[in-house]
Amino acid sequence: MPTRKEENDRIALLQGTLDLLILRVLLFGACHGQGISKAILQQSDEVFFVDHGSLYLALQRLEDGGMISAKWGVSENNRKARFYSLTAKGRAQLTQKTSQWNRLKKAMESILSPAGEEA
Amino acid sequence: MFSNRDRGAKDFSEEIDAHLQLEADELEAGGLSRAEAERRARAAFGSRTVARERFSLRHRSEVFENMKRDIRYGLRMMARNPAVTLVAVLTLACGIAASATVFTWIDAVLLQPLGGVADPGGLVTLETVTSNGEMITSSYPDYIDFRDHLKLFDGITVTRPAIFSVGQEAHAERVWGELVSGNFFAVLGARPEAGRLFLPAEYGDAPGGYPVAVISDRYWRSHFSADPSVVGKTLRINQHELTVVGVAAPAFRGSMPAAYFDLWVPYMQQPVLNGVPQWMLRDRHNRNMLGIARLKQGVTVEQARLELKTLADRMAVLNADVSRGMSATIIPLWKSPQGPQSLLLGPLRILAAICILVLMIVCANVANLLLARATAREKEFSARLALGATRLRIMRQMLTECLLLTGAGALIGVASAPFLGRSLRYLLPPGPLSQLISMDTRPNVAVLAFTAGVCVVCALAAGLLPALHVSRIALSTTLNAGGRSGAAGRPHNRIRSMLVASEVALAMVTLVGAGLFARGFQQSMHIDPGFDPDHVLVNQFYLSTNGYTVFQRAEFCRRLAERMLSAPAVTDVAYSDGVPLNFEPSWWEELTIEGYTPQPDENMNLYRNVVSPGYLPLMHIPIVDGRNFTEQDNENGPNVMIVNQAFARRYFAGRNPIGHAVHGWGRWFRIVGVAKDSKYHYLSETTPPYFYVSFRQLYRADMNLAFYVRTRGEPLGILSALRAQTREIDPNVTVFDAAPLKEYIGASLYPQKVAASLMAIMSALALLLAAVGLYSTMAYSVAQRTQEIGVRMALGARPGRVLVMVVRQGLTLTAFGMAVGIGLAWVLARMAASISATNSAMGATQKVLQGNATDPLIYAAAIVFLGAVAALAAYFPARRAARVEPMEALRTE
Repeated sequence: MPTRKEENDRIALLQGTLDLLILRVLLFGACHGQGISKAILQQSDEVFFVDHGSLYLALQRLEDGGMISAKWGVSENNRKARFYSLTAKGRAQLTQKTSQWNRLKKAMESILSPAGEEA
Repeated sequence: MFSNRDRGAKDFSEEIDAHLQLEADELEAGGLSRAEAERRARAAFGSRTVARERFSLRHRSEVFENMKRDIRYGLRMMARNPAVTLVAVLTLACGIAASATVFTWIDAVLLQPLGGVADPGGLVTLETVTSNGEMITSSYPDYIDFRDHLKLFDGITVTRPAIFSVGQEAHAERVWGELVSGNFFAVLGARPEAGRLFLPAEYGDAPGGYPVAVISDRYWRSHFSADPSVVGKTLRINQHELTVVGVAAPAFRGSMPAAYFDLWVPYMQQPVLNGVPQWMLRDRHNRNMLGIARLKQGVTVEQARLELKTLADRMAVLNADVSRGMSATIIPLWKSPQGPQSLLLGPLRILAAICILVLMIVCANVANLLLARATAREKEFSARLALGATRLRIMRQMLTECLLLTGAGALIGVASAPFLGRSLRYLLPPGPLSQLISMDTRPNVAVLAFTAGVCVVCALAAGLLPALHVSRIALSTTLNAGGRSGAAGRPHNRIRSMLVASEVALAMVTLVGAGLFARGFQQSMHIDPGFDPDHVLVNQFYLSTNGYTVFQRAEFCRRLAERMLSAPAVTDVAYSDGVPLNFEPSWWEELTIEGYTPQPDENMNLYRNVVSPGYLPLMHIPIVDGRNFTEQDNENGPNVMIVNQAFARRYFAGRNPIGHAVHGWGRWFRIVGVAKDSKYHYLSETTPPYFYVSFRQLYRADMNLAFYVRTRGEPLGILSALRAQTREIDPNVTVFDAAPLKEYIGASLYPQKVAASLMAIMSALALLLAAVGLYSTMAYSVAQRTQEIGVRMALGARPGRVLVMVVRQGLTLTAFGMAVGIGLAWVLARMAASISATNSAMGATQKVLQGNATDPLIYAAAIVFLGAVAALAAYFPARRAARVEPMEALRTE
């Protein structure tokens, strides 16, 4: 069963980072909403527990923007589910956002690390 | 499949359901029962409703959605209580309609007085200033000097309103127009709709050299059906042909606020059109032109005023014979003492104050109504609060409902403003002037913006208290409590009582105001005018439009007088230049009096009338010393003058004025008589020095002509005889607007009459609203106290006592309101007493509010009247309280 970290340990997701996570998860193949949420939870070592309302809103936003496409299909155990898959545009967006994120990460690290060492 | 944009809520719901199933499957695979797995899946998902809501609202803004919801809810609430809604909307409509109408008038007269001109902000009025500081009209030669020598002005133009006779002799029509300097349209920046306006070729000063005219859009449509070929046609104006060179733009109505002229003719055509001799146009002493000037870009009013004053001072020295001590100045257009705006300024200010009062009363009333409704809906609001609405949300709901009410009222108000706007005509005196006054009363942008602003302000004023009250509802008390304790209602009752008290106070103010104005008007009506206006018919002739020379006009009058004297029932006949107590300013002349040296600053321009010998006897003005004019006082005899007693007192200080010489109009006159003082301009004036000169000796071509007939019977009975005799002498001369002289006197009292009537209407409205407010508060209080009353009566109180108790409660409230109202009324009355409605620029002002502003009788009468109405309003609920059956009362919740 999915465990949930305490409320204080949950790190708030910045807007737009959820989009990036979704695109990344979908890189490995089509997935439905529940699967995406589970994937994010597992791959982040249970740090990110996505609020489902926000998840589906983000999915709709990405769909409206043409980053992902959606289709009703059947899951492994014969349940009806809506599957999302990356489009070419989405792929390109993923690459661009990932490199942006890496630049951000490097900048944050270079500012924060020296202070961390001193402390 | 579905396109992205059209993805429906149903599809989304299905996806959520699918998610939950998948989640439940996984949990079940982990070892839970199906039911438990599904429960945990649902719990982990969170609120499905919220998710669905967020999905369906993802494109819309939350604020907008809430507003739509508030409005829909508010409309439903309004429909559910039609009585309350109707009363609120109607009272708001009254208040807002009145305010919108008054603002339309203020806009037309003060804020945007001239339409169709370029950059109206750069225009100012140019006035000549007498030696003692009075502002009067200017003369044409002075204008030429200003025009040629002032550098800080883009242009100066002078105008003079005049009545023209247009068309063939027998079918001539009277048209109001302006005689203007050639550069009139250029200075004002008007544009033509067809043809052209006056060109620089027509800016010159050659008398009779410019036989052209421009007509107005209104005249073009009514007389030429907007046919463009009118350009180049000739019009027969005052029996002379003038070429129409163009049509003014529809928005352009002339140079006077609130007036609509139909014709513009170069001033230099006067000798041709009116028979005015050319030397009069060049007479610097002949000051009869209104001046308008345009400042150069970037020049301030102060700089321009200084340059003008410097030049005027120089001119005063150069032309010391006629202009000694004179100066000139510029003032904003709306401040000009000539023209309709000077008549309207005082009344408009009072109207604005009245409107504010009425709006306050209306808002208090609506607030009261809403508070009553809010109490009835307490349970509803409490439920909403319990379900999670914020207090701000509830407040917004109340304010939105209030805004809907004021919005509906404003719509009705704006729709009715044009009709109400036309009633401005009744503010002005009867006579030719009222045909001239016209304003565009359709709502323009400024009026609409103002109404919207008033709407919002009223909504806030009326809705704030109920909204605050509603937001302070304590949840548990209201959801649980019945009416038994009544504790929840106490602060609420206080607010309502204060509102009613304020309504009573405002009603008091309007009552006192109505009383003061009505009494002032009545007092003015009883002032003795010093002459006898009954049984006299007066008619204005415009013989200049028929091409009569001065001599011909005098002849005409003599012959008509002869004929009328022989008509039955006629006792006296006379003619003169001016009509007493007429609303147009009377003319003056500068005099030098033998044996009197004027002070350095003294204004020796004195009022006068040019009269026939029959005038003073017809008016029943007695001669107290010396003699009246006779037929011998004509062109061949020595120039004579009659003065009034004030003149004698002022300049002869006890000596006998008879026989002394007075210089005016370039000649010497001898005083032959002293007439009794009478009223000349206003019934309430202090009698100024006044003099009369003989018609045959002084009548000039630019003067008016009024003809009087005194009969034994009704004045209008002699009208047909007058018409017949006039037609016999000259069929082309028509008797246009003969009226009994008594009507002219009524006209001079119009500001007081208007103020009194308007205050009476407003106070009736205020009284009604206050009574309704009082009644509803009392009724509500009685309903709340039904149980208490039942207990009292069960314990032995008699119905009479209960009645007294309720009425006393009502009267206490009223008394408090009255006390505040009296204080307020006292302050406001003193302020209103200083507002004057001035007509003539020569200092003959009159206050709109005559008499004592603190007359205790009026206040006492208002208290008694208001108290009676309040007692009546409290009586009916009290009677109902007294009829309460104790057992019924104790059983009610």
